Amino acid sequence: MNTLAAHRAVPSGRIRLVDVRRSLLMTARLRVLLVCMVFFFLAIAAMLRIGWLGFVQPAPQQRSMAEALLPPRGEITDRNGVPLARAFPAYALWYNPRAMDDGGAPLVKSPREVAARLARIFPDLDETAVRDQLAAGKPGYIRHRLLPEEANRVNAIGELALETTQESDRHYPQGMLAAHVLGYMEEGRAYVGMEQALDTRLRDPAQRGQPVVLSLDARVQGALEDELRRGMLSVDALGAAGIVLDVDTGEVMALASLPEFDPNKLDAEGRRNVFNKVTNQVYELGSTFKPLTVAAAIDAGTVTDLSRRWPANRPLVMGKFRIRDSHTIGASLNVPETLMHSSNIVTAQIADELGAARLKQVMADLGMNERPYIELPARGYPIWDKGEWPRLKAMTVSYGHGVAITPLHLASAYAAMVNGGVWRPTTLMKLEPGAAPEGRRVFKQSTSARMNQLLRMIAKYGTGRNADAPGFRIGGKTGSAEKPGGSAGYRRTTLVSTFAAAFPMDKPRFVVIIMLDEPKGTMASSFQRTAAYNAAPIVAKLVPRIGPMLGVLPDDTRDIDLTDLDPLVGKGR
Amino acid sequence: MTAARPYLPQLRTSFADARYPGGRQRQLAVWWNEIDRTLLVLVLLVMAIGIVAVGAASPSSARRLSKTDVKLEDLYFLWLHLRFMALGLLVMFATAMVPQNLMRRGCILLAAAMLVALLLVPIVGGEVNGARRWLNVGISFQPSEFLKPAFAVTVAWMLAWRVRDPSLPVISLSAATVGLIVALLMLQPNLGDAILFAGAWFVLVMVAGLQLQRIGILAACSTAALTLAYLFYDNARHRIDSFIGGGTAYDQVDLASRTLLGGGWTGSGFWMGTNKMSLPEAHTDYIFSVIGEEFGLLICALVVMLYLAIVMRVLMRMMNEENLFIVLATAGLIALFGGQAFINIMVNLQLFPSKGMTLPLISYGGSSYVAQCFVVGLLLTITRRNPCLEREKFDWRAAFEKDSVL
Repeated sequence: MNTLAAHRAVPSGRIRLVDVRRSLLMTARLRVLLVCMVFFFLAIAAMLRIGWLGFVQPAPQQRSMAEALLPPRGEITDRNGVPLARAFPAYALWYNPRAMDDGGAPLVKSPREVAARLARIFPDLDETAVRDQLAAGKPGYIRHRLLPEEANRVNAIGELALETTQESDRHYPQGMLAAHVLGYMEEGRAYVGMEQALDTRLRDPAQRGQPVVLSLDARVQGALEDELRRGMLSVDALGAAGIVLDVDTGEVMALASLPEFDPNKLDAEGRRNVFNKVTNQVYELGSTFKPLTVAAAIDAGTVTDLSRRWPANRPLVMGKFRIRDSHTIGASLNVPETLMHSSNIVTAQIADELGAARLKQVMADLGMNERPYIELPARGYPIWDKGEWPRLKAMTVSYGHGVAITPLHLASAYAAMVNGGVWRPTTLMKLEPGAAPEGRRVFKQSTSARMNQLLRMIAKYGTGRNADAPGFRIGGKTGSAEKPGGSAGYRRTTLVSTFAAAFPMDKPRFVVIIMLDEPKGTMASSFQRTAAYNAAPIVAKLVPRIGPMLGVLPDDTRDIDLTDLDPLVGKGR
Repeated sequence: MTAARPYLPQLRTSFADARYPGGRQRQLAVWWNEIDRTLLVLVLLVMAIGIVAVGAASPSSARRLSKTDVKLEDLYFLWLHLRFMALGLLVMFATAMVPQNLMRRGCILLAAAMLVALLLVPIVGGEVNGARRWLNVGISFQPSEFLKPAFAVTVAWMLAWRVRDPSLPVISLSAATVGLIVALLMLQPNLGDAILFAGAWFVLVMVAGLQLQRIGILAACSTAALTLAYLFYDNARHRIDSFIGGGTAYDQVDLASRTLLGGGWTGSGFWMGTNKMSLPEAHTDYIFSVIGEEFGLLICALVVMLYLAIVMRVLMRMMNEENLFIVLATAGLIALFGGQAFINIMVNLQLFPSKGMTLPLISYGGSSYVAQCFVVGLLLTITRRNPCLEREKFDWRAAFEKDSVL
């Protein structure tokens, strides 16, 4: 109204009105501009706020489509797609005393009543501990891995302080199967096994949609664990380890360490068993080294005549040290007899003739001077003398003492010995056909062929007879090593008994290592502690179970040709 | 324009035929040339965003409102929204077709009718969520929703009287009208709409040339009124308290903030949001937060820009408008539209205490959606102008030389 004051001087009505209109319009336009500016500043404020929220506020967690669609952690399957580990959406029960946020008591009902109702839902709940936790009013987890139905029942109690939050848990549908290979998850972190080894890969949004395919075969793994457990319990051993290895590719078909743990529910007892005996524990594996020594000697040309006889009726004296056999086998032995009856005395002489340097080189070529090749994080360091080996050292190594390795090392060395002489790193990942690593040649093909005959002879005529499952053409070597310790350096009755086998010997496909830690003499082992009576029978039971699954069918009409060696041991005449 | 016309013998000439000779098709062509097509495109863009946003928010609200016996399907609100949208588009284009004179008269009548309806609400209205805002005549609707645009046009018309007679006390008259409306709204109670009415009126009288010093007095009065509302009005006090005090965990504001930030800058993806599921009123008041979660803060910024673009587009065209009524009515309508949009956005960004106010043209429909379409229709028809006419350019320098008017 007062904007018109300036125009009072204008004389007549009509002209004045035109002027008023112009002036009002001009004011209106400027005020419209003002309104424009207000909206503009509002928009700027909103944009600044969005920027502030985006950059400064509780760092906005970037959530991608992948995050929502893909499992929180990749699946692990065996080589045939059998799930071994998968994501499992579960609930956790979290006690939040401040949920009510009114400064009063955290619970509506008494802690005693709430604990009682929780115990009704979870019969194994420690009611007293939970009651104390509720009464103490400290936030914390009460329980993990609730099923949806259990979460509903918890919510039905009607306590705001009992929060059921979703968490992605890990489920191992095969239970304890291959627990040491898989490892376990705890509070979102991966421990041991492939869970830890592949952690980045399993969490990577780009890759976790695809399951990781391991080289394991769940059926073979199951059979191995089953037979190993039965064998271990029947001789009351402290533990046991077993491997089934593909000799041509280095793929581990099964790997077991007993006693096992349950990755689904790791308790105090399971925690003690997490240690992997196959890849982490080193043992002096005893007589199973003898074929390796003989192979090295044949390969080097120091043993050219298998019929040559070596004296064996008297302990070998090296200074203060005496190398002896468990019993006198004969006045003299040739090479096949040495292996069949497992003579330390003769093996030591063969190694002595071969020379320490050459033996050491072969053992190093077989990978015994470094940690085993496998993806698992837990890999043991072998006890390996880096310096120049004296004569005595070579002699003891020749029958498996003085070098401590993991069972996996041994499996790898045997694979190289029987597959034509090529050593390959072992792997737990399934390899595509033709993708096997080139490896390195350790033995000549001819040496390998000869060793296959010798290994078959041990299982057919020698200490390995208990392992000879009909039709599967098994070859292998027993090993019963005294464990270090005691006043004499070794404890004569505390053994690690091993059987290192391969099958079928006419075209070796798989190596099987069975190892028992401190077996006792029981009725099942005819009160014997040596590998021939406890480890070898496990192989005899295991191979017929796993052979057909792995494409090796029993066949009595086929075997490796032993006709040239049979006369040396008084057979086949 | 009819003054110099020669007599043409015609048997039956309707009003429309006289204005647009050449039949309906020609009439449509003229209409198409006259309306603000940029505004139309912007508005349709916002409505398209609305379809996607309601689609995103629908599962949340449908699951929330499902009962054991009645289960709403996930996209229940989207289908309903599309129906309201069809109705809204019909209303919008129908309104945009109406000639300006008719529109003005219609609005004045509508304002009178709605004022009567508003008077009836306290007596026969239906109660929802503790507020009596709804009138049920076949379909239930909020009289205040349709009163808003009609009120803006009517007050603009009243204020424009001054062009004819500068001595009329139009501002006092309009103040009385808005006072009555605000009082009626506070009875319901509906503080949000009351603020919107008062704000629109404030913009109108400011554009109509209220002195700066009186504007200052008004601003002080409104602050005082808000303080009074805070002191004596429970609902407002709770909301303002929780705005200043930060609220409690898992209250509405906290849930909205979690939802808004749930997607980061680029969003979690369509239907991938999880926070929205626990958010009440996801499809109406807090749809901006749902957009934030599923499409990211960048898209939120884009929505803000779109609303600003609409407001700017409409207001900038007023800079060379010569009809004071049109300037006033447009400013009033856009103040309602933009005001509601920015208040809603500010609430979602936690810059303003929460109010029951939807995001125009994006939030799920209902009578308010149709009313917003009506507002846009009015804006379209009111800003119609002959594109062939040269207009006097706004003379910035001349405007600022006469600094007394600002």
